Amino acid sequence: MLALQLLCNGLATGCALGVVAVTFSLVYSTTKLFHVAHAGVFTLGGYLAWSLTSRGAPFLLAFVVAIAVCAATGALIQALLYARLERRHATHLVILIASLGMLAVMQNIIAAVYTPNILQFTLPWASQVVAGGGSVRLTVIQVLIVAASVAAYGGLMWFAHHTILGKQMRAVASNPFLAEITRLRPRRVHVYVMAIASAVVSVPGVLVPVDLGLQPYNGVTPLLTATIAMIAGGVGSITGAFVLAIAIAELQNLSLLIIPGEWSIGITFFIFLIFMLFRPTGLFAAVR
Amino acid sequence: MRRIGLTAILASLLTIAAARADTIRIGAILPLTGPGALIGTQQMRGIQFAIDQANAKGGVHGNKIEVVFEDNQAKPDQSILSFNKLTDLEHLQVIFTAYSGPSLAMAPLATRKKVLLINAGAQADKLATASPYLINTLPTIGDEIAVITKYVTGEGKKKGVILFENDAAGISGRDDYLDAYPKAGGTVVAQEPTQFGQTDFRPALLKLADAKPDVMLVSITAALDNMAQQYKQLGLTFTVAGTTFFQDPDVIKDPAAEGFVHTQIRIEAPAELAAEFKQKFGVEMEFFVRQYYNASQIVMTAMDRLLTDGQPITGENMHDIIFKIRKFQGLIPLEFRTNTATVPLDINMMHDGKDVTIKKMSTD
Repeated sequence: MLALQLLCNGLATGCALGVVAVTFSLVYSTTKLFHVAHAGVFTLGGYLAWSLTSRGAPFLLAFVVAIAVCAATGALIQALLYARLERRHATHLVILIASLGMLAVMQNIIAAVYTPNILQFTLPWASQVVAGGGSVRLTVIQVLIVAASVAAYGGLMWFAHHTILGKQMRAVASNPFLAEITRLRPRRVHVYVMAIASAVVSVPGVLVPVDLGLQPYNGVTPLLTATIAMIAGGVGSITGAFVLAIAIAELQNLSLLIIPGEWSIGITFFIFLIFMLFRPTGLFAAVR
Repeated sequence: MRRIGLTAILASLLTIAAARADTIRIGAILPLTGPGALIGTQQMRGIQFAIDQANAKGGVHGNKIEVVFEDNQAKPDQSILSFNKLTDLEHLQVIFTAYSGPSLAMAPLATRKKVLLINAGAQADKLATASPYLINTLPTIGDEIAVITKYVTGEGKKKGVILFENDAAGISGRDDYLDAYPKAGGTVVAQEPTQFGQTDFRPALLKLADAKPDVMLVSITAALDNMAQQYKQLGLTFTVAGTTFFQDPDVIKDPAAEGFVHTQIRIEAPAELAAEFKQKFGVEMEFFVRQYYNASQIVMTAMDRLLTDGQPITGENMHDIIFKIRKFQGLIPLEFRTNTATVPLDINMMHDGKDVTIKKMSTD
């Protein structure tokens, strides 16, 4: 029963990480930028929702506002920072450093405006236990995280394959030069991609802190795991990033059955190192 | 001739009076900005409140007291700079300190320069032996753990697991539990680490619960509320025990923490004193305010005794006189048999949103 409970907890954690990985992968495959400030957008969503709910706003309204503001923030980062740097022929390394700077600025502003301490949502419904099979216990918010993350992944897949903008995004990702000469306006598509990725990442950005609390610097660890999931899943593969993020979270949880907790992260990533040695292009590289 | 004689006597008296009305300056190196500022400000207010009260009554032995505050941001390197400034430039002999890292960094300098450091806020075990010139007016974590393990085994909870933060403070607490719990008659059957600042305790709690313990001994300093909520969500029923770190108002009022037990340093302010403090600073007289108010009383008592005995206020003399007086009665009765005071400790239990004292014990 311990294994089943760990499996369920891993699924909730993994699904949230999966959305971070999917959105990070979307930005990277389209813009070719290592958008580290994505962690800041992830964190910002939670703080915005907390601000509104702590002032009495309904959670759903706070959730929607957080998604909208995060989308706008992502678009602004692309339009005012990355696009400007690209126009000035900045290398990807320079843009990466700018992104790191943006992340530091966002984290510091959040810490200064709120507090570096852990903040909690006061939503009693979220921590209510949903009866699972046998002695497995999951809270309402954990179930919501799984449902919303799977929906976000599914929605993003549908959007990418069945809408004009989605097809434009894939075209730009596939061949930016061709996209430019066929008037797809890659720079504008980049702004849309950043807005969409930022909106979607704010879904776990809001829901995870409802479960585990808010900290200004808590976006970095999910982003690190998401990056590994993206690479191990196969760069450019949305499904690969999502599945690998869940696999990493499950491995970290289930490894506790046989090894002490302090070894869990190290051994999980060691397994991935070995995996990458044998399949450096990632698990889903061929299935885009 | 007679007029000259009177003038001379008057001049001598004025000189003595002036000498007696000297200002005694002491230092305080505290985190007044940065992440530790909340606690540091409480500590500063505790010292200032005690000193202002004493000065309003004429000071110590007719001498006004002045405190020179230095901001160390809770950083050891900054603390050393501040310590050197206060001792070399200001020639201060008594300095208040807080936080384990900064206090441990300054301890060797205090030994070398024979300057007395007074700690009323940090609890690392190493503070007990860091320097003969470092006086701790509250117990170390090890002292508290010895008391809580004695209590839980006395309640028949002899199968324990340990949840600890995987950093210096957490590991030190874990080691204290591993030492004290078996001595008290218990057996540690499992232990799980968490990272500092981590808020997902579910995997660690599940693994510890699988060992079917009577009690979980906790050595974490952050995210205690998250741990309590996840403990409740997972339907766990074993006792949760800890130290003064459990005294977090958010945790106490959280129904998820119902039944948690912990040691609590017993230091209460009389209602009149607390009201006076609130009137002056506009906030409650919190734990660290009371601790540093109490420590300031100890310092002033020792100074008064030295001046009465006609001895100069030096770090060495202050150190010796504290051990000579040995027993102090401030906000709490405490005794210095070693550099770390023996103090009364309560065993508190969280019940109905309140932290209720269920047993009175001592670090003795």
